[in-house]
Amino acid sequence: MADPRPDNARSALSRLLDEDATDLYLNAPCGYLSTLPDGTVVKVNHTLSAWLGRTAEDLLGTRLQDLLSVGGQVFYETHMAPLLRMQGAVREVAVDLIRLDGSLMPCLVNAVELRGPDGEPQLVRATVFEATARRRYEKQILDSQSAARAAEQRSRTLQQIVIDLAGASTVSAVAAVAVRRSASLPPSGGAGLLLLLGSGPATALVTADSAGLTPWMIAALERAAHGSLTLLGNLGSARVVLPDERMQAAEPELVRVMHAQEVSALVVVPVRAEERTLGLLVLISYLSADSKGGLIDLEEPGTGWVPSRDELGLCTTVGVQVGEALARARLHEEQTRQAARVSYLLDASQQLAGSSGVQETVDRLVAVAVPRLADVCVVDVGHGRVLRRLAARHGNPARQGLADALLRYEVPPRSSGHPAAAAVTHRRTQWLQVQEADLRVLLPERDQQDAVRALEPAEILSIPLIAAGQCLGAITLISDRHRVGLGPADVELAEQLALQLAVRLHQEERLAAEVAISHLLQQSLLPASPPARPAPGLRAAFRYLAATQGVDIGGDFFDVAPLPAGRVAVAVGDVVGHDLTAAATMGQLRSVYRALLAGESGPAALIGKIQASWEMLGLQRMATALFATLDAATGELRVASAGHLPPVLLTDGRARLLNVRPARMLGAPASDAVEWSGVLPPGGSLVLYTDGLVESAGADLDIGLDRLVSAVQGCAGTSPESMCDELLEVLTEDHRADDIALLVLQRDG
Amino acid sequence: MQVLARHDVRVSGVPEGRPIVFVHGFGCDQSMWRLLVPDFARDHRVITLDLVGSGHSDLEAYDPVAYGSLSRYADDVLEVARELELEDAVFVGHSVSAMIGALAVTRAPECFGALVMVGPNPRYVDDGDYSGGFSRADIAGLLDSLDTNLVTWAATMGPVIMANPDRPELAQELTESFCSTDPDIARAFARVTFLSDNRTDLPAIPVPTLVLQCSADAIAHDAVGVYVHQQVPGSVLTRLAATGHCPHLSAPVETTAAIRAFLRAG
Repeated sequence: MADPRPDNARSALSRLLDEDATDLYLNAPCGYLSTLPDGTVVKVNHTLSAWLGRTAEDLLGTRLQDLLSVGGQVFYETHMAPLLRMQGAVREVAVDLIRLDGSLMPCLVNAVELRGPDGEPQLVRATVFEATARRRYEKQILDSQSAARAAEQRSRTLQQIVIDLAGASTVSAVAAVAVRRSASLPPSGGAGLLLLLGSGPATALVTADSAGLTPWMIAALERAAHGSLTLLGNLGSARVVLPDERMQAAEPELVRVMHAQEVSALVVVPVRAEERTLGLLVLISYLSADSKGGLIDLEEPGTGWVPSRDELGLCTTVGVQVGEALARARLHEEQTRQAARVSYLLDASQQLAGSSGVQETVDRLVAVAVPRLADVCVVDVGHGRVLRRLAARHGNPARQGLADALLRYEVPPRSSGHPAAAAVTHRRTQWLQVQEADLRVLLPERDQQDAVRALEPAEILSIPLIAAGQCLGAITLISDRHRVGLGPADVELAEQLALQLAVRLHQEERLAAEVAISHLLQQSLLPASPPARPAPGLRAAFRYLAATQGVDIGGDFFDVAPLPAGRVAVAVGDVVGHDLTAAATMGQLRSVYRALLAGESGPAALIGKIQASWEMLGLQRMATALFATLDAATGELRVASAGHLPPVLLTDGRARLLNVRPARMLGAPASDAVEWSGVLPPGGSLVLYTDGLVESAGADLDIGLDRLVSAVQGCAGTSPESMCDELLEVLTEDHRADDIALLVLQRDG
Repeated sequence: MQVLARHDVRVSGVPEGRPIVFVHGFGCDQSMWRLLVPDFARDHRVITLDLVGSGHSDLEAYDPVAYGSLSRYADDVLEVARELELEDAVFVGHSVSAMIGALAVTRAPECFGALVMVGPNPRYVDDGDYSGGFSRADIAGLLDSLDTNLVTWAATMGPVIMANPDRPELAQELTESFCSTDPDIARAFARVTFLSDNRTDLPAIPVPTLVLQCSADAIAHDAVGVYVHQQVPGSVLTRLAATGHCPHLSAPVETTAAIRAFLRAG
């Protein structure tokens, strides 16, 4: 195949190619370099020396390493030279060559090692390609890789924080997570969580938790944040606080501490939830030291860290997460507290419900109040000016003696400003922090001051006991200096407790009033004073004892009425039930009985008449009754019973139950009454009574009747008055579940 | 055996000879010692190994936190020494492994009877009167530069490394070895290498020590070698005519002779 080109053109090209071996080397489009095995340059082309701004003469004798940047030198020593030696070639090693003017030229270097017959290295040949654009591109790849890595790291950090926060159900747990995790965020020096507590002018920033902060730093932060809230500002996102001139002007103390503690910067992160600032997360960056974590820090000692926008963004997001976790935890804690409060109050109300009487109620209340609510609980009860101190209890049994000492004193006059007195006067809860000087003002007596001082009181809380519009006294709680102070929630709880006590005291008072009224009513319905001698030759004595347990009001009654012709009508009865209705029914029954007496009916006829007219009378309760007439002159005795216990007859020193056949109770379907008639001989006695005298809890009625008969027999030869005393003495106990009516008639001997 | 596999430990030479353990530095693996091993194998029990993260070591065993300081690397070598029941062994450490050796022989003098530090530098960053040869900015630039080569090169250039047509088996092996370096591990190892400060460990070295100092070593210049020699009690400083940082590659005969002379004298 012949070359189609003209001869002259062909020869020009071949001339060019022939001449060019040297020119090609010297002016090739890449740099050529030959070195000895130790890097000494022995040959270099124009291209490379021009790139470097040097002459070939300059470069010859220089070592390749010396033309490299520091990084290149190290890479040459640690990678390039060993690889050349071991594998004979390297390719596309990225290094920077230093130009004469000191600037760097990014290059890619390929090199081969030429070896002699014995394998010993003789020469290294290298080609150098300028790679500025490529390096820029690689740098961008590296940057984006490292940015991606950093972003991934941030996202992992955030994820971990979110997971940890999700597991924290209390404020302190949230604070611990926030601080522990934040301490590993970019500034890495430490972290503190300051929470806003209180409201209005009393708002304070209090450190909930911290790591890597000295107490001095914490105090300075709290002061700065609390003082002007400069730190807080209107923060929407994380902000860097540097100890610069502006900060110096605003918070000189904080800046002073920052300098002293070698703090280079603070990152202040708002902790918010639902548009409300809950506090601040403060991250701290210390001036870099020579080494960190065992390795030398790449930052020059004494320089500070400057956060990137992304790092600040991460801090802001962490603040949001912590804020939400805090809000969650607070809600949870509040619910838990609420549940504990409800259960506590429920327990208290059960305790109080089981009590009977004012003293027991108060005793149970103070036992519930301490030590849960306070260290000491005192209850003062009373109407009008005088308060009676019913109980004083210390939560620590070992210190009960100190509380007992308080029982010796009463609440001083209301003008003294004593909290209990003030609570009763103003009907408002009184809550005060106790200072030594207060004791001298509030308490008139020195030993009373001493008694209170011994309790080491820090706070006193007095709450009026108000129920149905009445103030019944006050409950006073004292917390001592060893206890964390009372909070609003404690006060509220104490007020709830006071309300329960007040309601129970009010119930007790009403009950006591009702009992008093019932007895009064009963007393008023009974014959004011039955005649001691209802008829010539006849003596009578009676006793009426109310039940000792307030709730049991009896419907017992008795009556002694003179009849014409020296006769006497006697009645004993017992209305079913123990309340005001029973007492009222008894009154009505007695009136009906008196009215019927006028008709000169015998006892059995009397029962028949009452039974016949029962519905018409509209009496609400059934009743037992025993009616009798006695002729004082002859001793003729007629007795009829409507379900009542038989009377006891005492004649000639012998006592026996009178064998009266009872008809049905009054108010039950009518049945004929059978009248007993006989004679009460001179000197004989007739004993009438209600079941309270012979019934005792758990004991058989027959036994009670036997005891009665024996007791009556034991009274032989004594007067009716003595018999009454003796029988009550023998048969009754201090505690009576029922009322007792007792009536003794005796014919003169 | 797990320990030996973890470090791809290779044992050769005379079983009853004095054990000599060669530990490579940053950027290389145990193949770096190939020019020294044949000579020592004549009368020594020769042990070479790859540090975790390098060469054919078990990359799974690497943990960035545990290997965040030289201490763990030293413990690794001690595990190998105990597994092989070494006594009176010679620890030959290149570059950063000279410091790993300093830690290892101090922790287990019962295993090691001598230390050879090839191109040691206890602290690369200058510190007051001490001159390690680098400023912080130098090291930062160096780490960046390593990134450029390690990350982009390892990711894109592995298979293209030029084979030596005359010795294809060698090139193949090295290519594999080099490419097996994980760029993240290499980056972390570089940080540990260039940001450690082991100056205070030097006076505690309890065994006879040889400091081998090359000429014109950009990584460990002469003053650093002198410093190490002064700090290690009773140490011997031998200056080599060899230049650069890898005399065991560039001048194996001189290096071998220097070590042998030291061991004979010891």
